[in-house]
Amino acid sequence: MAYRIQRIPSAPPSVAFAARGMAIVLALVTAGIVLAALGFNPLALGWQVLRTTFGSSYGLEDVGLLVIPLIFTGLAVAVGQKIGAQNIGAEGQFYAGAFAATGVALFVPGPTAVILPLMFVAGAIGGAIWILVPTLARAYADVNELITTLLLNFVATLMVYWVATGPWLDPSGRALATTARLPHEVPEFWGIVHWGLPVAGVVVLLVAALFAFTRWGYEVRIAGSNPQAARYAGMPFRRHLIVVMLLSGAIAGLAGMFEVAGTVHRLQGGISNNFGYLGIMVAVLARSSPIGVLPAAALMAVILNSGIVLQTQGITVSTVLAITGLILFYTAIGDELARYRIVRG
Amino acid sequence: MIKIRDLTRRGFLNIGAAAGASLLLPKSGLISPARAAAPLPAVAEEDAVIAWGYVGPTADEGWTYAHDLGRQAVAAAFPKAKTLFVENVPYSADASRIFRQFAAEGANMIIANSNYGDFIYDVAKRTPDVAFYECDGRNPLDNLGTYYVAHWYPSYIAGVAAGLMSKSGKLGYVASFPVPSVYSGTNAFLMGARTVKPDATLQAIVINSWFDPQAAAQAGTALIDNGADVLFGIMDEAAYLQVAEQRGAKAVMWNTDIRRYGPQAYISSIVVDFSAWYVEQVRRRIAGEWTPTEDILPIGKGVDRDAWGETVPAEAAAQADAIRDKIMGGWSPFEGEIKDAKGNVKVAAGHRMTEVELYNWDWSIEGVTGL
Repeated sequence: MAYRIQRIPSAPPSVAFAARGMAIVLALVTAGIVLAALGFNPLALGWQVLRTTFGSSYGLEDVGLLVIPLIFTGLAVAVGQKIGAQNIGAEGQFYAGAFAATGVALFVPGPTAVILPLMFVAGAIGGAIWILVPTLARAYADVNELITTLLLNFVATLMVYWVATGPWLDPSGRALATTARLPHEVPEFWGIVHWGLPVAGVVVLLVAALFAFTRWGYEVRIAGSNPQAARYAGMPFRRHLIVVMLLSGAIAGLAGMFEVAGTVHRLQGGISNNFGYLGIMVAVLARSSPIGVLPAAALMAVILNSGIVLQTQGITVSTVLAITGLILFYTAIGDELARYRIVRG
Repeated sequence: MIKIRDLTRRGFLNIGAAAGASLLLPKSGLISPARAAAPLPAVAEEDAVIAWGYVGPTADEGWTYAHDLGRQAVAAAFPKAKTLFVENVPYSADASRIFRQFAAEGANMIIANSNYGDFIYDVAKRTPDVAFYECDGRNPLDNLGTYYVAHWYPSYIAGVAAGLMSKSGKLGYVASFPVPSVYSGTNAFLMGARTVKPDATLQAIVINSWFDPQAAAQAGTALIDNGADVLFGIMDEAAYLQVAEQRGAKAVMWNTDIRRYGPQAYISSIVVDFSAWYVEQVRRRIAGEWTPTEDILPIGKGVDRDAWGETVPAEAAAQADAIRDKIMGGWSPFEGEIKDAKGNVKVAAGHRMTEVELYNWDWSIEGVTGL
């Protein structure tokens, strides 16, 4: 009786879940060994991380605040992947959304109840405009969106640096290299956590429903897994591609809008905190599932917040990044291994 | 060669931590009206936690390294207290998270060695029982103070030497952001140079970072390509000094004595020493005397020019040092009439710019481009 290894198209949920769990445990064990080698006590550090992340309102609020942009950028990347588009430009769309929302907040007069929804719309439009050229280039000239979306990140970053230190610089002289504090803020509902969190949850549910329950969503999923088949079946692949990519950009723009309107309250260079790039990791962890973005973003937020705790314990940011990378590395391996099984005969 | 450590040992920069606060510059009311906050309660030294958030790595041999020497001085002066630090704190909401985390770990005093604006302000507002200091800050609270150095004086002195050593009359400046410390640095440097080379000009390149050796080196190269033969800047590390050395140009640096990265190019450095000031603030916090202050450490007491480089002619050094003596004696070069880059008179004839005006300088003088 011989055994052989068989690859299956998708892992059963229980196996996938177990692989994830094992990957994270293994990554933490590896990180612990590295930290011990550096002269730290990994168990004490682990306890410290758990205690401050989950045992204090400080830690929980920080995670709640961190998860908001991660949900949006993760969802943005996941949405693009539904039709096979790799949006590496969530970082730039984040800035474009933050820029557009800031413009509305600073220059459109009106009550907060009116301006905040306008900022929301402006953030989405800003993000969508930022991905418009890569979208059209991909749809009509087959230009690889990986490169175009990535390069526009640098343009958006510099654009924000320029407006925040130039034309939109805070005129009060009490702040450096940033715009004035926005006159409208997304209200907080729990400590420092603002209403962007529930809104992010609702957007995830809406997008998930769009893909799961509409004919459009069905066609996009088909087009994503097999463009030839979709075209053959008469589905408008190009139109779907354009809509999905613009939606992806708009969602990333919302990340920027909520970061500037809810968390930072000023537009300035550097506020993206790499959320656009971290969104790629979130989408990978979520396996491009919109609902999966919620736990993936939560996990990423816990990891990032643990990184803050570790840094105050004297561990450098490079070590923290390496630990984050390890977790993703093991997860990717675990995901792949979960798709193999041993069969008899 | 005068090293900052030697200066400290001689008591030149060391302003006597044990002697108390009276030697420091104006206690408060310097940047904004004095605040009448009640002092934060005393803490036992063994319970004291003092935390630093650094804009760069402690290994930068520059700004953050100098601040970390201050942290080490605090640790030596208060051996039972605990000091914490985080390097590379970004200008994003992560800065707030780090400051909040310090507070969660029981910090009694949290110090940021750069302007974190609302990222520190909002945290300070929510944690009124913790003392905060923000370097180069502008938005004080009852528990948030500010400190900085009067670097415009040594920048002016170095500018005199630079003017004497420049052949082209074109000066280059590697800038971080268009912020007051950059305006005051570029303006003071060019004003000093113009006393000996009246048609000198200064071109700045902004690289959007205080610590980005690669971008600083590129900016330095571009400035030299444009004809600059003396570079200045406000970087936390030595990259553009190395460029100047390779290209046969000269350079004025910041923070510490880093001449070994370019001994031929090195003119001087704007050296800083926060040790005595930090020790004094921590002493006040522990003793229950701390209320927020807004201090600009004066020349000779926290900031100065470094010993002149080996290629600086003796006459140039003497001429610049004569200016330094005048400044130490109370004279200020920053007196009207001063025009901005558009030719408008911004400082009227006869008006001597106050320290606050110098601290908040946000326009370029005639002859400065690129900001």
